[in-house]
Amino acid sequence: MSPETPLPLEIHDLTVAYHKKPVLYGIDLEVPAGNLIGILGPNGAGKSTLIKSIMGLVPSSSGWVKIFGKPYKKNAKRVGYVPQRESVDWDFPVNVMDVVLMGRFGHLGLFRRPGRKDKDIAMACLEKVNMAPYAQRQISNLSGGQQQRVFLARALAQESDLYFLDEPFSGVDAATESAIIKILKELRERGKTLIVVHHDLTTAKEYFDMLLLLNMRKVDFGPTEDVYTYEKLQKTYGGRLTILSEVVDTRRKRSSDLPIEK
Amino acid sequence: MELIPTFDFKSFLTAPWIDGGWESSIWIVIMGILVNTACGLVGNFLVLRKMALVGDAISHSLLPGIAIVFLLSNSRSTGLMVAGALAAGLVTVWLIEFIHKKTRVKEDAALGVTFTTLFAIGVILISVFADHVDLDLECVLYGEIGFIYFDDSLPLIGIEVPWPVLQMAGALLLVTALLLLFYKELLVTSFDSGLATSLGIPVSWAHYGLMMVLSLVIVFSFESVGAILVIAMLIMPSVTSALLSERLPNILRLSVVFAALYSIGGLHLATWLDCSPAGAMVVCGFLLFCLVWLVSPRRGLILLWVKKLKARGQLESPSLP
Amino acid sequence: MIKRSRLCASLALGITSFLVLTGEIHAAKISEISDSHLIEQFVRFFSFKDPSVRYAVLGSLLLGTCCGLLGSFIVVRKLALMGDTLSHAVLPGVALGFLWTMTKDPWAIFIGATIAGLLGTVVVHWIHTTTHIKEDSAMGLVLSGFYAIGICLFTMIQRLPTGNKAGLDKFMFGQAAALGSDDLWMIAIVTAAAGFLILLLYKEFLVTSFDSQFASAIGLPANFIHYLLMLLLAFSVVIGLQAVGIVLISAMLITPAATAFLLTDRMHRMLLYASLFGMCSGLLGSFFSYLGNSLPTGPFMIISASMLFTLALLFGNRYGIIPRKLRHLNRTHRIQIENTLKAIYRIREKSHFKEEAVSIQQFGEQRNLPIIEAEKEVKRLIKERYVTLSKSNLDEFNQSQLIYLTPSGWKTACRIVRNHRLWELYLTESAQYEPDHVHDDAEEIEHILGEATVRELERRLDFPTVDPHGKLIPSIIDLGDGHKAN
Repeated sequence: MSPETPLPLEIHDLTVAYHKKPVLYGIDLEVPAGNLIGILGPNGAGKSTLIKSIMGLVPSSSGWVKIFGKPYKKNAKRVGYVPQRESVDWDFPVNVMDVVLMGRFGHLGLFRRPGRKDKDIAMACLEKVNMAPYAQRQISNLSGGQQQRVFLARALAQESDLYFLDEPFSGVDAATESAIIKILKELRERGKTLIVVHHDLTTAKEYFDMLLLLNMRKVDFGPTEDVYTYEKLQKTYGGRLTILSEVVDTRRKRSSDLPIEK
Repeated sequence: MELIPTFDFKSFLTAPWIDGGWESSIWIVIMGILVNTACGLVGNFLVLRKMALVGDAISHSLLPGIAIVFLLSNSRSTGLMVAGALAAGLVTVWLIEFIHKKTRVKEDAALGVTFTTLFAIGVILISVFADHVDLDLECVLYGEIGFIYFDDSLPLIGIEVPWPVLQMAGALLLVTALLLLFYKELLVTSFDSGLATSLGIPVSWAHYGLMMVLSLVIVFSFESVGAILVIAMLIMPSVTSALLSERLPNILRLSVVFAALYSIGGLHLATWLDCSPAGAMVVCGFLLFCLVWLVSPRRGLILLWVKKLKARGQLESPSLP
Repeated sequence: MIKRSRLCASLALGITSFLVLTGEIHAAKISEISDSHLIEQFVRFFSFKDPSVRYAVLGSLLLGTCCGLLGSFIVVRKLALMGDTLSHAVLPGVALGFLWTMTKDPWAIFIGATIAGLLGTVVVHWIHTTTHIKEDSAMGLVLSGFYAIGICLFTMIQRLPTGNKAGLDKFMFGQAAALGSDDLWMIAIVTAAAGFLILLLYKEFLVTSFDSQFASAIGLPANFIHYLLMLLLAFSVVIGLQAVGIVLISAMLITPAATAFLLTDRMHRMLLYASLFGMCSGLLGSFFSYLGNSLPTGPFMIISASMLFTLALLFGNRYGIIPRKLRHLNRTHRIQIENTLKAIYRIREKSHFKEEAVSIQQFGEQRNLPIIEAEKEVKRLIKERYVTLSKSNLDEFNQSQLIYLTPSGWKTACRIVRNHRLWELYLTESAQYEPDHVHDDAEEIEHILGEATVRELERRLDFPTVDPHGKLIPSIIDLGDGHKAN
């Protein structure tokens, strides 16, 4: 990538506060293109808030954000978004196809209706996530994993260069998780940049090229092998990490002591 | 005749109590205090349970219950009226839950459909059988606290006490006793129903019990304030007090004080403007709420603005791990 | 499906234009004819000869459409109670609008009411954001506070010499017969504006209702759409005042939309159904109120809407209670029959399929039933043509009566036993269940396994012939021909 090409995401001194209490404090970030990036941090560290404030969904108190060298509003079309699954009402009267088509709305702008081309794109995206047979299904009749796939298909239909995914692996089955990560890696191969809020330390190492450790401020950001170290994770999760690892250890010990039912 | 009479502070204060009107004024104030207190006490628990609008729903849907009782019995028998109200209240709560749980219709829409339907039935009954129902639509809309029946009174220690006041006093006593008796159960079930279940407190009983007490309070307040204004009596004292205090016992005490203030302030307002006393009581309550909202020492708007001005650009230092 | 939607829409348009074009004017006020016959009144009403009837009907139809369209978005956004709050909050605006001109000028009232309604929603939002008061309490507060201000103003207006005749009380419960041409124009303009905007901005309304954060992330003006909807909502409440009344207008928004929500899974169909239901309730409501002497229209419209809702709740194809119950009963019935067939299979299996016939007695023992109950079950099977009897006389049930499976009965029995045993095998082999724990689970699963799943199971288990308890699993060949060749 030539040096004059603007970075997919550049954040300078971003501070976000609720009721004057900062949730994120002085975040600086420069994200190089073509990477699969995980955001790690404890509960309440501001992971979701970070991506929401980048997209202007949460007002920031200071700092600026640039997407491919321009403010977010100017380049919204180049950004895809997968919100948390719980953020919508799954009884809403739409079917799977309708939801995926929503990914095209940003390209259409005001007033215009989705046409043949948009429907073809949406269908292709559904095929990519193996949900094509469900296109006419009402969304409340989907399993958690299927719902997540639909959301991913909607983001794919946005045909963006930079993607934000908010906890895409929470509450999905193992098959969906591996399908999603496969698609994400494919996107990265095509030069897209993907930023994923993640809460599972154990899988973080194998999934992501780069990690952002976050706990109200940026603890560290860099290639996974440099950042995924005990000291840095300890710094991010505070004292909690030791407790966590102890718990995991004792559970492992206990489960190995137990006779396995046949 | 002008719309708004000139405001004279002295006559504003004294008007209700001179010209021989003081006797009816006193009963209006007493009735107002009784209604506001009973509603305010129950209302606190509604607000705590985030069921403020269920109170609205029940107050509307008692109308068909009362109308049917009037139609069938052709009388104002208190017992029958209470029975009708309790039945209507329970039917409402059950219907809302039924629609919400058995279908995909969400709770807010279920509530909206249920109470408007029952209220519409009530209005139709009243207007079709207007000759047989001793209840007119004006009473439903804004109550008749100004027309307490003096012909129907009971001599008590030398004073002729109007019958509706006695009834309301009885209802208030009953409600206060019930709330005191089941205070801790109500508190626990309102705060954390999971904890309540694990403690062995029957959550659904507490729920239906509260709904029955609510129906009881509303049916006695009905003639005084009507079906719609009663929601204000339920919510306003509790919400206003919650801006001033954070502990439930204090909030309950404060709501009693506010209940009395609404009643007296409302009467003065109504006498000055010559308008519906029940409406004026609620307007008084709304004004008091706005005042408290502005100047509350903890959560007041003024405080908020001052803080905002002071803290412009400044942030608390983040608590870093 | 699209065709049907078009048909409905054009039908509705046809009725409306018929009403507009019917020129004949018949002089008679509604109140003057309330003593005549029901059928006469019916004919009179639906011939639309009276201008006031025509105004009332046209107004109700348009109003129903408008409320249905906007109500659909209100219901899916879970703002139903906001509609109720807004409708009560307009009351002081109505009073002030009246005071402005001292007549019942619809335009002044329209402006006053819209401002008051919007102010109400803004105050709810303020209370909610600046204090810890929950949104429902804030709505109750504004609803009753604004309403009380309105009531005070009303009682004050009533003692004015002009106020007494103003007929402001008609705003409480509605009087469609009192609709004037100005009112009608207002209703028509607002309905047209709502319809036009929803058509134009359909995809924006859809995506912001479903997921407003996503909508703003892709650069759509979610806030603008929300306020536009609130404004349209305020308009629709205000135009409904004359016909439906303040107290019940929120139901005109909620109930038809909730009815449509019970019947369809797509937003555009929900909009269409909701406006049709709105029109129906408007029409029925104005008809019923026409029957009596100056009966309020609003409650009758709401009752009509609620009746439609109840019908949808009970009989709706997909989510209705009775069809669901029927489906459940059907399933139980089928399971019962399948279990009976399975019992006959087991009896025959005991004799290694040597005996073709099974006696009633054997059957009763296998199913652990008294003879009378067993006879009932066999009768059910005969009705479905799964078994025949040795003696053709059906009434002659006795110990000697023998039961024979018909080919279709045999096939079904084999299918169920095969499902049961394959599932047991699958649980023990793949899920490490204890063999004595699998029976109960298989008892349920056997009835719901589809043919594709069974084939898949067979493939995974490498076409087994014996179940965990050592019994033979009927193979696909048994399902094909009539009788097992053993």
